[in-house]
Amino acid sequence: MNVGVAHSEVNPNTRIMNSRGIWLTYALGVGMLHIVLLSIPFFSVPVVWTLTNVIHNLGMYVFLHAVKGTPFETPDQGKARLLTHWEQLDYGVQFTSSRKFFTISPIILYFLASFYTKYDPTHFIINTASLLSVLIPKLPQLHGVRIFGINKY
Amino acid sequence: MASGQQWVLVEMVQAFYEEKEELIEDWQPEPLVPLVSKDHPPPKYDVVSGPTSHKIIVNGKECINFASFNFLGLLDNERVKNQALTSLRKYGVGTCGPRGFYGTFDVHLELEERLAKFMRTEEAIIYSYGFATIASAIPAYSKRGDIVFVDEAACFSIQKGLQASRSNIKYFKHNDMDDLERLLKELETEDQENPRKARVTRRFIVVEGLYINTGDICPLPELVQLKYKYKVRILLEESLSFGVLGEHGRGVTEHFGVNIDDIDLISANMENSLASIGGFCCGRSFVIDHQRLSGQGYCFSASLPPMLAAAAIEALNIMEEDIDIFRLLRDKCKHIHSALQGISGLEVVGESISPAFHLQLEKSTGSRELDVKLLRGIIDYGEKNDIKITFSVATIPASYCFSSCVTPDYIVIYAQTTAHSLAQISIDDIQMLRMHI
Repeated sequence: MNVGVAHSEVNPNTRIMNSRGIWLTYALGVGMLHIVLLSIPFFSVPVVWTLTNVIHNLGMYVFLHAVKGTPFETPDQGKARLLTHWEQLDYGVQFTSSRKFFTISPIILYFLASFYTKYDPTHFIINTASLLSVLIPKLPQLHGVRIFGINKY
Repeated sequence: MASGQQWVLVEMVQAFYEEKEELIEDWQPEPLVPLVSKDHPPPKYDVVSGPTSHKIIVNGKECINFASFNFLGLLDNERVKNQALTSLRKYGVGTCGPRGFYGTFDVHLELEERLAKFMRTEEAIIYSYGFATIASAIPAYSKRGDIVFVDEAACFSIQKGLQASRSNIKYFKHNDMDDLERLLKELETEDQENPRKARVTRRFIVVEGLYINTGDICPLPELVQLKYKYKVRILLEESLSFGVLGEHGRGVTEHFGVNIDDIDLISANMENSLASIGGFCCGRSFVIDHQRLSGQGYCFSASLPPMLAAAAIEALNIMEEDIDIFRLLRDKCKHIHSALQGISGLEVVGESISPAFHLQLEKSTGSRELDVKLLRGIIDYGEKNDIKITFSVATIPASYCFSSCVTPDYIVIYAQTTAHSLAQISIDDIQMLRMHI
């Protein structure tokens, strides 16, 4: 699906991550965030990397795993009302290329952050916790599962 | 291409033609309509010719029309006709585009404004097809996971709207407010157990002003009380009551003196009293405006032909000019209702001021087929004596669920009481109808 042209998706959320240039845009966005943080005078490089990682994962958690439904009115009588964006992605089919991309990208960011923080224990714990918060909800076993009823309705 | 190959091709084509001829020879066509058994004869359709008014030509025979929704006689009104013709000359038949896509004419906007003014609401929205009005309005608001409480005698278009909404549907017994309150209380306890779910669930009550399936009026004041007590929204279907009930014909809200702002949405058909085509919804602006992008029937149907909108405006003019027509209609309804009382074997079902009511067998013969035959016989007899009434197969959901209240078949009389000419349906006609039954 290309953004800005006519499409026939009932729920555009299902295929928006397959749009042309969306991965590049995403990578550029993360890079931009990193550069902006780097330009702040008092932050050391390890702090900036941890911040990039944590902010990225927070954003990913909110937009892919917390917010449910669609920002637009869909003609399916609210079928996606109880599904997160991650669950709507590719009609819920697992292991598609965009799912793989968005699973791998926080891991790569985590590796980079770990490397640049020189495996400092504090940074390491923060980064690992942050990574798990976006990796665990992506597991196929947790598709549509709301642990302890969190975010159920 | 070598000549040998060409020869093979020619042979193949010849063989194909021969095979085709053979297949055509062999083919025995099946009848388009399979043979039917004598017990289930194919339905007999009545053919209506010419314009319909208080007289109707059915199968080449002129009858008195007791089978019309044209309650105010505006269908063959000269003023309405002239207005429609003038509009036709001015606009043609319309653009065939939806309202949001080159389909809106000034008459549409005028009609919406006039309807809102007539009903004394903030805004109105018009649909191109009466049936689709409520059937689009319900799914525009009620989505998956929402709860709709609906009277079990609700009409077919409401049922279709509910199906399309994909909501959870709870039926309450016809006009039984205790039963509705029981369901609302059940929901209340469920809500207390699960308040997080309750917060995202919308609730609606869907009722008809005047039930087409029973001829009853809904107890609106009680419904409004329940609405505020249990925080539900009321969607009111007024297809039959608009232009019929109330001093000014504003429908069931005026009939009970209920503030129209207490009703969240009113939907009505313009094909009955208003004698045009299409339907409208009216209510608060923020409620109605939602339909301009979410009402599927509004967004995706071609707009109402402008001449029909112009006809509806003229019909509204007549309704506003002369409120006597509503009083006359009520009087005639009462008259016909009382005149038909006491026919042995038949029961008049419905409110006395309802212009549509049912004649129902007092005692079922025990089998649906026999009932249908008997009622059909009465209709045929009426038709022989120049009276056209019509037949209705009950659509009350309950009649499929509970055998105790099986009331399967009715004759429906839509009392067509034209207000402008008293001579049209006279007392004699009613006497005649009664005599024949």
